[in-house]
Amino acid sequence: MRKVAIVGGGLAKFGIRNATWKELAQEAGKAVFDDVKNLAPKDIDSLFVGAAQPERFAFQTHVAPMAAEQLGIFPTRVVARTELACASGQAAIRYAWACIASGLSEIALCVGVEKMNIPNMAEAQTSMTNVLDREWDGVHGASAPPYFAMCAQRHMKEYGTTREQLALVSVKNHHFSTTNPFAQFQKEFTVEKVITGPVVAPPLTLFDCCGITDGAAAVILTSAERAKEFTDVPMYILGSGQSTIGNLVTNLKSLTTWEPLKVAAKEAFKSAKITVDDIDLAELHDCFTISEIIEYEDFGFCKKGEGGKFIEEGQSNIGGKVAVNTRGGLLGTGHPLGATGIAQAIELLQQFRGDVPKERYVKGAELGLTHNLSGAANMHSVMIYGRG
Amino acid sequence: MSATIPLPYMLDFYPLEDEKFTRIHQFFTNLKAGKFTTTRCKKCSTILWQPRVVCSECFSTELEWIELPKEGELFAYTAMVLGAPLGMEKEVPFVIGIVKLDGIDLKILSRIDDVKYEDCEIGMRVELKVIRLEDERVFYRFKPK
Repeated sequence: MRKVAIVGGGLAKFGIRNATWKELAQEAGKAVFDDVKNLAPKDIDSLFVGAAQPERFAFQTHVAPMAAEQLGIFPTRVVARTELACASGQAAIRYAWACIASGLSEIALCVGVEKMNIPNMAEAQTSMTNVLDREWDGVHGASAPPYFAMCAQRHMKEYGTTREQLALVSVKNHHFSTTNPFAQFQKEFTVEKVITGPVVAPPLTLFDCCGITDGAAAVILTSAERAKEFTDVPMYILGSGQSTIGNLVTNLKSLTTWEPLKVAAKEAFKSAKITVDDIDLAELHDCFTISEIIEYEDFGFCKKGEGGKFIEEGQSNIGGKVAVNTRGGLLGTGHPLGATGIAQAIELLQQFRGDVPKERYVKGAELGLTHNLSGAANMHSVMIYGRG
Repeated sequence: MSATIPLPYMLDFYPLEDEKFTRIHQFFTNLKAGKFTTTRCKKCSTILWQPRVVCSECFSTELEWIELPKEGELFAYTAMVLGAPLGMEKEVPFVIGIVKLDGIDLKILSRIDDVKYEDCEIGMRVELKVIRLEDERVFYRFKPK
């Protein structure tokens, strides 16, 4: 296995965009080739396109060749579209990593794209419902917000987590997103505003939930030997883990301990030969406020049941035990499904380069992780990155 | 004059339950008769939810239908207030819960009918409710007992 590096990244602005799927792909593609100076589309031998639901949001399948066409890429090794719902972007990086590590590919482009804002929002919500097992869970009208609302209800009951502690996750991540011009949301939130927001699925309000977002993100991967041709500060992929317990909502024994996350995290740390205490930066999948709290616990940043206290004490802020979601997370930047995992990697890359606004810069950071859950938290993907 | 163009037919949420479309049509036939059932592997005795045609534990195809308890209690619940999918927008707010069935280690996600969110509590007793679609298909939900 060869060591693999990410050598550049580029983003399209996240938000409600007056742009199509293809146009978002073009924007992220231009941004990444602008970032990596010594590289042209003709150098790319493999293309991985993270896309969760182009079939429903853009009524289009076979999107990998379409992205190649938009970006003038003529791959000769591997072309794939990666679908893993909310983790589709990280899945693209994972496939590219495996192909470069094995020697199959030399230089790969990952581009994650999602166009989610369409004229009929009920149609969009329908598309999110079929991430769950459509015939047995989605059919009950369930989608992500009700599922995570029940996780929050159980966490509050089992561990005494408070409504205010949930809201603090949203306040922190919206604060960070004000430093990120690519983020969907640019305003500071207060605990009061989060708690009194429009109810989506009690106890969660609109401001406990990430947005419905259009966006795209792209990164270039190559081998560690070649990385210095393209950048002074490559970001190395040091380890990873991925685990699932199937798709049915009730496969998980507990709504408050996500066993596949613990399995994926353990494997990721083991393969990177580090522990959770070594992590300086964590891009955690805060699709809902409760998610980030459970993730603090199941990664082992704090003890089980103490996630609420962890945010309250500022341990997930810059200067705390670990800086979590410095780009604004999914809550602050929005969550274009196919792009999110790639945008998280770009945040770590820019942090390692010292290429972020000083308000969110974590000086001296050497190790970071990105995490995505998908479905009803029954699938988890983790990657560990190190500064080159 | 412009013509109105009809939109194409799309699948709905409910499973196609006829024997032309699924090998677990027995589940729906049983449900029509008021029975809540699933498959159990004859070889390794694993109870499989949702119903299967192949045992995911031992890959046996020798499965039998067993009845599940029709009562249980609410393990967790919430309401769909904002963001209901197509066809359900007019039904909001509606309660969604996870039901822990009596006497078996099995939880099932379900719509909880005939009750308001405010009147629910964890541990509330619930029982099976069979709903009928306009095309004669059936499906299960739960309601307070």
